[in-house]
Amino acid sequence: MIKDLTVRGKNRKVRKAPWKPADAQGDNPLSASQVRTVLGKSSDIVFRDFVIRGAEDIRCLLVVVDGLVDKSILDEFILKALMFDLKRQPELTRQLTTASAPQIVLERLAPANEIKKISKLEEALDAILSGDAVLFFGEKPEALVIGVRAWANRGVNEPETESAIRGPREGFTETLRINTSLLRRKIKHPSLQIVSLKVGTITRTNVVVAYIENLAQPDVVDEVLRRLQAIEIDGVLESGYLEEMVEDLPYSPFPQMFFTERPDVMAADLLEGRVGILVDGTPIGLVVPAVLTQFLQVSEDYYERAIIVILARFVRYLGTLMALLAPAVYVATTTFHQEILPTSLALNVAMGREGVPFPALLEAVFMILALEILQEAGLRLPRASGQAIGVVGALVIGEAAVKAGLVSPIMVIVIGLTAISSYTIPSYDLGIAIRLLRFPLMFLAGVMGFFGIGLGLYGLLIHLLSLRSFGTPYLSPVAPLRIRALLQDTFVRAPWWALKRRPDLVDTDEPDSGGQK
Amino acid sequence: MERISPHQFMMISSGVLLGTTFFPVAQLAAGAAGRDGWWSVLPAYSLGIPLGLMVYTLMRKYPGQNLLQITEGILGKWVGKLIGVLYVVISAYFGALLLGQVADAFRRSVLPLIPVSVYSVTIMLLVILVAWAGIEVFARFAEVVFPIVVLGLIITMILSISRFEWEEFYPVLGNGLTPVLAGVLKIAPFPMEYILFLAGLLTFLPTVEQEQRQVKTGIWRAIILVGVLDALLTLTEIMVFGPAEAQRLNYGLLALGKMIEFAKTFAGIESIFMLVWMGAMITKIGAFYFMAFWGMQSVFGVNKSWKWFLLLGGSFLLLSSLPEGGVELLGEITLVDESVILPFTVGWILLVWSVDRWRKGVRRG
Repeated sequence: MIKDLTVRGKNRKVRKAPWKPADAQGDNPLSASQVRTVLGKSSDIVFRDFVIRGAEDIRCLLVVVDGLVDKSILDEFILKALMFDLKRQPELTRQLTTASAPQIVLERLAPANEIKKISKLEEALDAILSGDAVLFFGEKPEALVIGVRAWANRGVNEPETESAIRGPREGFTETLRINTSLLRRKIKHPSLQIVSLKVGTITRTNVVVAYIENLAQPDVVDEVLRRLQAIEIDGVLESGYLEEMVEDLPYSPFPQMFFTERPDVMAADLLEGRVGILVDGTPIGLVVPAVLTQFLQVSEDYYERAIIVILARFVRYLGTLMALLAPAVYVATTTFHQEILPTSLALNVAMGREGVPFPALLEAVFMILALEILQEAGLRLPRASGQAIGVVGALVIGEAAVKAGLVSPIMVIVIGLTAISSYTIPSYDLGIAIRLLRFPLMFLAGVMGFFGIGLGLYGLLIHLLSLRSFGTPYLSPVAPLRIRALLQDTFVRAPWWALKRRPDLVDTDEPDSGGQK
Repeated sequence: MERISPHQFMMISSGVLLGTTFFPVAQLAAGAAGRDGWWSVLPAYSLGIPLGLMVYTLMRKYPGQNLLQITEGILGKWVGKLIGVLYVVISAYFGALLLGQVADAFRRSVLPLIPVSVYSVTIMLLVILVAWAGIEVFARFAEVVFPIVVLGLIITMILSISRFEWEEFYPVLGNGLTPVLAGVLKIAPFPMEYILFLAGLLTFLPTVEQEQRQVKTGIWRAIILVGVLDALLTLTEIMVFGPAEAQRLNYGLLALGKMIEFAKTFAGIESIFMLVWMGAMITKIGAFYFMAFWGMQSVFGVNKSWKWFLLLGGSFLLLSSLPEGGVELLGEITLVDESVILPFTVGWILLVWSVDRWRKGVRRG
């Protein structure tokens, strides 16, 4: 059944960038002079001319980007090997001509582990700009690409946005190859496939799609590759570009691709049959298909004992509901449905609101807006200043507003509760969506009370039910019901020893998890 | 082609069967059979089982067609079209009446000062939204909402136990079986509304043999589940209000909700329950909206487009505004249920099924 659903996503159109991208692809013949013409104006491109003494003098050109290569490797294993070490091999020297040089250097002279022959201009440009060295022999339309990439990069650090009390301390970095190696270190099985492609006609950004063969649905993998290859855009500087270009419904506030900085999280997702997407230049990896409940799970859920996780997840679900509904319920209750409050509480609320010049709806909107401003301000400031902003906001403005009679004390409590609840949402993307949806719900509550909240919630439910992420219904495993996934790993997590089969959130070809039998 | 799973079929069936029946069921049952009204509910629902199984048999024999298309094939094009037109008219009119009933219930129980049209329009918008999303989304909607609705009803019943007047239970069958049978006739249209929905739903049901068998069990399971639930609800209202008051109350469940007190702290929480039950109302009205649209597709060949969806939604709104609320509206619903839906459904299904069987016999002979 789900396979059928997955295939349907194939008809989806991939959005194109609104501008026409420059054409950086082609099939032009290779020559050293052509490369010099194209790249010669850039000050960071190094053109090293030298001569090799063979059966004839061969004029060579080595082209690299300064700062992207390991110069010691170049000096030691390329230049020294060709200019000096060659002299000790007279037999080879006699065979060496401009015509035979690429093959002889490739096989006998360059002790580099990554080396290949190319014959197209675009391949050469791509290799040079990606940090490889390209060696030309006279004007021969063939060259050698030598892997000497090395650039300054941030080490593998603990991810700041997904810190965990228990679990690995390593996070993805900005270097794609380090990220794939982090994945490979966790999944040492030949079925882990890492498919590379380039996206962005000018940036030519390296992107890899990672999945485990026999676990990931081929339909989903094909669809991911199809959507990525169909992207037409000048540049991709972060995985967010791809996310917006390939997600199923771009106008939904809900994230349809899960993002993570943690290799252990991505590896776990791959083991569940999902597909990972890593982009060069960003530590944020994407995972598809994504379902709503996934955004309320954290890596520690799988490292702590299962019994503990029940409470943690319950608190997160409750926090999410409160973050979404608390201001709206306050508005509806104080404006229309005072009868549901116990008399003493209703009197307290009424006394608190006495003298407040605004209706509850406006009061709530002002306070939520103030909260949003404080959150946004704190986010961009250095950590110490951010904390100061929090103190100023909560204590100074909140208390002053109550004393000035602008808002009621209960409203401040509701806003505080809302803010704290929203921090229980582990996913930043989902948190933003919840923050956004608070406003229409408050408005509906202010106009039509609980009926308005009901309208908003049912509208939201219908929207969530019609969302899909790469063919998988977004509210799975609740609807459509997948009982095993629901019981094993949704509101609670079953102990590892009980997970004999994979939680079928995503269809896999191999449902057996290999767990304890 | 959209398809729903056997579990979704079970949930959508239960959701449509239950629909808004929790409002009038106690009033109708107690009106006909007094304190023994709750005995009528389950047998009345059970009347839907044979008809459901007849529809199922026809589905197996004519795969990929709904009952309107099957009817055209068995009874001829013009008879089929005529039945199709009746199907559209009945679905649209009854769906509109339910919309009016829901809006009326909200106006009476939640916010009396808001014009009833605001409720009608907003609920209709949700119905159009879910219908536009398709039957798969509608089935998923039922999957999520139905268990919550049932939970809401069960909580209401449990919290009402403290107000039970136990002497209202006796004497059991004090007036014999005749009033119970009269109650059965009053409640019998409820499962027929569902059978009409099933008639249109056939094309979206699973085609795999094993799953089709699950659909068959799903039909009677859903009917019995909702029958038991409505019977318990009727019993609760009779036990709390007594049979005389239960038959007088137009929205007995709301009155029950108003009386509920939780932990001696929270009371008057019927507006929160109404939020939960709103899902059931959307399911029921949505079902009739789907039925009307499927009928239009079969008879007039219309395609899925916003134009038709909005036109149909507009018709629902217009028709829902015709009767006044309260007693007049409930009277109209009961009239259509008893005088139109019950005879139409029984007659149509029996006719198509019998003619098909007869033809089969003739061919064999």
